Amino acid sequence: MKIIDLIKKQGDFELRTKSVTIEEGKIHGIIGGNGCGKTTLCKLIMGMILPDSGKIDYEGLDIREITMTAQRPYFIRGSVYENICYPLKIRHIQPDEQKIDAWLFRCGLEGKKRQYARSLSSGEQQKVSMIRALIFDPRFIMIDETLSNLDPENLELFEQVILEIQKERPVTWMLISHRLAHIYKMCEVLHFMYKGEILASGSKDKILFGTEDERIRRFVANEVIKMEGNHAAFKG
Amino acid sequence: MQVIKEFLDTFFSDVGVFDAICVTFQMAFSATFISSVLGVLLGLLLERAEFIGKKIVIRINRTLMGVPPVVVGLIVYMLLMRRGPLGKLNMLFSIQGMIFAQVLIITPIICGMTYTSLVSRAPAIRAFARTMGATPIQTQWLVVRELKNELYFAVVTGFGRSISEVGAVMLVGGNIKGHTRTMTTTISLLKSQGIFTEGLTLGILLLLMAFIIQSLADFFQRGEKSDENY
Ligand SMILES: Nc1ncnc2c1ncn2[C@@H]1O[C@H](COP(=O)(O)OP(=O)(O)OP(=O)(O)O)[C@@H](O)[C@H]1O
Ligand SMILES: [Mg+2]
Repeated sequence: MKIIDLIKKQGDFELRTKSVTIEEGKIHGIIGGNGCGKTTLCKLIMGMILPDSGKIDYEGLDIREITMTAQRPYFIRGSVYENICYPLKIRHIQPDEQKIDAWLFRCGLEGKKRQYARSLSSGEQQKVSMIRALIFDPRFIMIDETLSNLDPENLELFEQVILEIQKERPVTWMLISHRLAHIYKMCEVLHFMYKGEILASGSKDKILFGTEDERIRRFVANEVIKMEGNHAAFKG
Repeated sequence: MQVIKEFLDTFFSDVGVFDAICVTFQMAFSATFISSVLGVLLGLLLERAEFIGKKIVIRINRTLMGVPPVVVGLIVYMLLMRRGPLGKLNMLFSIQGMIFAQVLIITPIICGMTYTSLVSRAPAIRAFARTMGATPIQTQWLVVRELKNELYFAVVTGFGRSISEVGAVMLVGGNIKGHTRTMTTTISLLKSQGIFTEGLTLGILLLLMAFIIQSLADFFQRGEKSDENY
């Protein structure tokens, strides 16, 4: 996928990207401070909002094969099960009960199947929204801080899930997170955003440890000091 | 039915209460049904469409939500009277005429309420539908389904407005016994004859029926859990 000179004004904020290629089949990470335009970029890719100028070249990828899990997931009225089935229902696919049960069990949500989705705890909501996004086998998946409220064990679980899926079939991922350890562990390519611009794209080591750019250094400084102590562990 | 009719006829003076009840409900159900279809469609359209003067249209809609029924009655009367532009339809002093006037009163209410709930809720629902890969029709259907409580409330409000309305019904229907006399115009008539107790009884009956209808509607809505975890 190619992002070509997008410009999008939203109130005082302006997103302005140079041309960036999102390489297929890789796990990408987007990092940057609050309000730098990460969610806005995802919304543009998702086609939820239209750019003022520039365009996105999907290179043959159908928009229906792209999905995004939101920072604050939306749940339709109804149970956890109905929510997970929604993307299948609109594709006229018979839901595979066993598969769904297996997912719920794996995420520690067994017994929550019939619960009203909006009454789940925020971490549970994030897990359900992940299952719901993965269940219809999309090929481009954006995860907008959806894993932010997960406890370490559950975060680890979804990291595993992502890597498993990655082995099974070619999926392009875009992870947004402020947990740099998580980003460092998962991603191959990082994009650093600053005030609406994509300042730098490249390998994770280059962006996190090998940059000259003062703004990036400042952003990662705190976390990197912590990370470097455990560097070996992360590498493993 | 016959028993109820006789009971009502002996209890109330000779004003045709049974027929009035039938006419009221026939009118209210028809007018609410037509207005709901029109109002919800217009509301959906208004929220989707972008055009110059949209703000004005919305403001006019808001104004019409509170339009005095008697004014609508007068306008409809002038339209339907024999020399009026729609005189050929022969709808003056008929239930159809009353329904016509009520549709004009209720449609803006349902449209306005639909529009308001859409404006606040639809964007999030559409964004979600997009992430799931829903088609435009599936998206629109999802919006309606997600807002069904709000839409239901709009329809019930319209229904309440319909059965309680006097002005337009009186002008356009003419309060003809056994034909266009409704419960509200009957009450009005009873008052002018100085028969207060019966008027009041009829009023309570009207409220009671509205309550029963409301309960029935709620009954079909049951099982809708809405407890959320904030
Ligand atoms: N509809 C809007 N109208 C006005 N401003 C907007 C609108 N949507 C977003 N913005 C602004 O655009 C900027 C970027 O928002 P965005 O949600 O993309 O940030 P973000 O990088 O995802 O931040 P966070 O890490 O906090 O999620 C913010 O400053 C926000 O206030
Ligand atoms: Mg965001």
